[in-house]
Amino acid sequence: MNERLEGLRARTRDGHYRRYRQPGGPDLVAECNHERLSWPRRMARLTRRMCEAERVVIESDELIVFTRTLTTVPPVYSAGDEAALTVGRTLHEGGLINNVCADWGMALGQGLLGRRRVARETRDRMASTGHATVIEFLDAAVETIDAVLALSARYATEARRLGKVDVASVLERVPAEPPRTFHEALQALRMLHAVVWLSGHHHVGLGRLDQYLWPYLGADLAAGTLDTAAAEELLAEFFIALNRDSDLYPGIQQGDNGQTITLGGLTRDGRAAENPLTWMALRVARDVGLIDPKVNLRITGETELALLELASDLTRKGLGFPQYANDDVVIPALAAHGYALEDARDYTVAACWEFIIPGRGMDVVNIGAVSFPAAADVAVREGLAEGATFQAILARTGAETGRQVHERTAPYERLLWAPAPYYSALMTGALEAGVDHGQGARYRNLGIHGAAAASAADALGAVRRHVFELADVDPAELLAALDADFVGHGALRRRLADESPRVGLNESAADNLMRLLYDQLADACEAETPRSGAIVRPGTGSAMYYLWLARGRDGGPLAEPVVGATADGRRRGDPFGANLAPTPGTHLRGPISVLQSYAAIDYRRVCNGGPITLELSDSVFRDGESIRKVALLVRTFARLGCQQLQLNALNAERLLDAKAHPENHRDLIVRVWGWSGYFCELAPEYQDHVISRHLYADV
Amino acid sequence: MTELTTGIVFDVREFTIHDGPGIRTTVFMKGCPLACTWCHNPEGLDHAPQVMRSPMGDRTVGRRYEAAELGELISRQASILESNEGGVTFSGGEPLAQARFVAEVIDLLPGVHIVVDTSGFGGKDAFMALARRADLVHFDLKVMDPVAHRRWTGQDNAPVLRNLALLAELGRPFVARVPLVPGVTDTNENLTAIAAVVASQPTLVRVDLLPYNRAAGGKYPACGMTFLPGFDEDRPPNVDVRPFRRAGIEVRVA
Repeated sequence: MNERLEGLRARTRDGHYRRYRQPGGPDLVAECNHERLSWPRRMARLTRRMCEAERVVIESDELIVFTRTLTTVPPVYSAGDEAALTVGRTLHEGGLINNVCADWGMALGQGLLGRRRVARETRDRMASTGHATVIEFLDAAVETIDAVLALSARYATEARRLGKVDVASVLERVPAEPPRTFHEALQALRMLHAVVWLSGHHHVGLGRLDQYLWPYLGADLAAGTLDTAAAEELLAEFFIALNRDSDLYPGIQQGDNGQTITLGGLTRDGRAAENPLTWMALRVARDVGLIDPKVNLRITGETELALLELASDLTRKGLGFPQYANDDVVIPALAAHGYALEDARDYTVAACWEFIIPGRGMDVVNIGAVSFPAAADVAVREGLAEGATFQAILARTGAETGRQVHERTAPYERLLWAPAPYYSALMTGALEAGVDHGQGARYRNLGIHGAAAASAADALGAVRRHVFELADVDPAELLAALDADFVGHGALRRRLADESPRVGLNESAADNLMRLLYDQLADACEAETPRSGAIVRPGTGSAMYYLWLARGRDGGPLAEPVVGATADGRRRGDPFGANLAPTPGTHLRGPISVLQSYAAIDYRRVCNGGPITLELSDSVFRDGESIRKVALLVRTFARLGCQQLQLNALNAERLLDAKAHPENHRDLIVRVWGWSGYFCELAPEYQDHVISRHLYADV
Repeated sequence: MTELTTGIVFDVREFTIHDGPGIRTTVFMKGCPLACTWCHNPEGLDHAPQVMRSPMGDRTVGRRYEAAELGELISRQASILESNEGGVTFSGGEPLAQARFVAEVIDLLPGVHIVVDTSGFGGKDAFMALARRADLVHFDLKVMDPVAHRRWTGQDNAPVLRNLALLAELGRPFVARVPLVPGVTDTNENLTAIAAVVASQPTLVRVDLLPYNRAAGGKYPACGMTFLPGFDEDRPPNVDVRPFRRAGIEVRVA
């Protein structure tokens, strides 16, 4: 990080660029109504007007430009008209396609003029056959392409006027034409990506950056026109730029914006995909030390230890990434769920952890959660009241899981995506087929979280141990204690909590129950066929449900059931573990047993992702020898056949101090559920959960 | 019927990266004959189980294991430890105080790399039994002056030095671990004396200096105990590697 980059980084963090922001935005409804535009044309008009309204911002020390100045994305219909248009349909998170990944390599490689030619060719081919919707989609896409070209031209003109010849000459080339250099490729990507945000989409992933940018970097390095240091500086500037506008990007919490990259892995034809840019991106992410882009690293049990050591050095920064995905497990799981092998090998990680296919995926990876604790709770209560066997209670848990899956899935029979002419132009085959990505993408599956499995397995394990095996707990007393939230039943609560098998200790009594819960979830998903050709993908994540399923959702409705006290001794309102993590408060021995517990899951059946979440004290990262041990731990995760891993390095004392004195810890970054954010910008309940995870880790 | 050997353990911790090579699991034996005023594991002092109180609730510390039970627990992860350059460390408290149990557990773990982390204070037979079974010994050396040793640890250091000498006899490699306690163990005189003693040991691997950590007193309230260090905690320890370097000894600061 040289002085120029330090300056860019500091200005990004101190809100310097907000001075360029414009209040309000273009008013589109009147214009669109007046012209009686169709929905696709309105969406194209939105992209165009946003591009036109953007003010050009070029600071004197920038080599990669674009700063967003518009703070809001205006509607294209009045509220009433939109309601009428979408009545009876399900709009996922606002209805604009999101949490997918463009085919960035293709879009860069063709340039926007290339994409426009494709659109025109398809239009010519289809014109005679009278496909009005096809023609309209393609015309809309061309309108957006022209808008981006015009915006880039304005940037080029301004750069020329300012005497910034290098920036101007890059922008006179890209994103119109294919990039010739790494610098041009990064600038083109910056512009193409920023306009997706500008068009109102969210969780805009960047995919396999080391794969699609390496040809440009490799060529520059081979030609001697760029050296590694200069390349790292450009990449660092690009990474910093991703943080410049991110406060404008919507998410559940600040930082939850899905600007992820995925490094390493396999090529589409099955060769090792890791290249020098894989290493460079890890180094640069470490040195820049900002929350975007969030890094995913694809590994196997045989990944070179030196790469894992570099990645562990990034973990040491406390950013909560990289997150690891195990190709040995993920690719077969995707293939088993209907993904073509070459597409499965090409997976990237969505906003949090879900595996999606760049350019080809329009999966809704988060339609909601199944609350395993609620399913187990219903089964335990009804089963004990009726004198059922433990096997019958397990069967009822499965039925309850199935009922929840069906409830979450049913509304998605009526899923409706708003037209996305611009984003579609960046996807594989949309312009070629003349079909919007929302309708024409190859993979349009649904993903569901199986949340808080550890707590449910613990509860079922406690019931089996104490009611059925030892018979030292009377079922009636247990039911009364659950109803009373254990008030007046303290001894029973301690027995359930302290003298029962728990997930995270490598005890088959608990781990096999957890495996069963996910098998039941997979069975339930297989039983659902919501739309022709679509499947429901079971996953192991929790997103924010580790709090919502325990406490309800502040200030909003929640479709999922909220559970009270549970048979593992957990009291009403106590949070669950995030993603694949043992129940908070479990006295763990450490990460080996946790990984062994989670190796019990049959990951072939759960392909929607969701990481094992491990907290390590930052004292673990003291020197090269200990970093190497962290790398060995990561390799152990892969060799045990687990699917995904999130490693967090933090210091509990620093978190407590940050909560008390946020002014001293403005830059403190933590991993929340599937993403990293600034600790001081989190709502208190999320802060408390992060703190408690680290306190337990340090005990 | 043979009597089962049992031992009392106050913690089993995995991924203890400062307790020896590779990925290790450390078994903390409960109970210690010494009473070092700087001890940061007060729950390891008393042999009996006790309740620790904290904002996260009470928990009973100290669990009695049968040797076979603990052996089985560790065996479940032995292949992971072995394939990651690591193994098991027996620490404490003081493993020598439960030598028979520890030896029996080690015998159930063939092929697993064993570190015994000891104060060196214990009977000769106990020490021989464990040192013989260890691949590496972590041997604490605190205070060389016998009077000062008694004052700061409550015990005589003669058994410690006798056991240290046995390592050469057994041919067991060891790392000498020296806690740097301000004004107590970190004096030039004491460090020079330690260097002189270990320099003559043929199986010495290196010396680790462990600077005193201000968090040492943190767990005393939870144990219902009062931390009375008796030295100035605020004074930074004298991290001086020169006495060891001069004696030609490899030294590291942890």
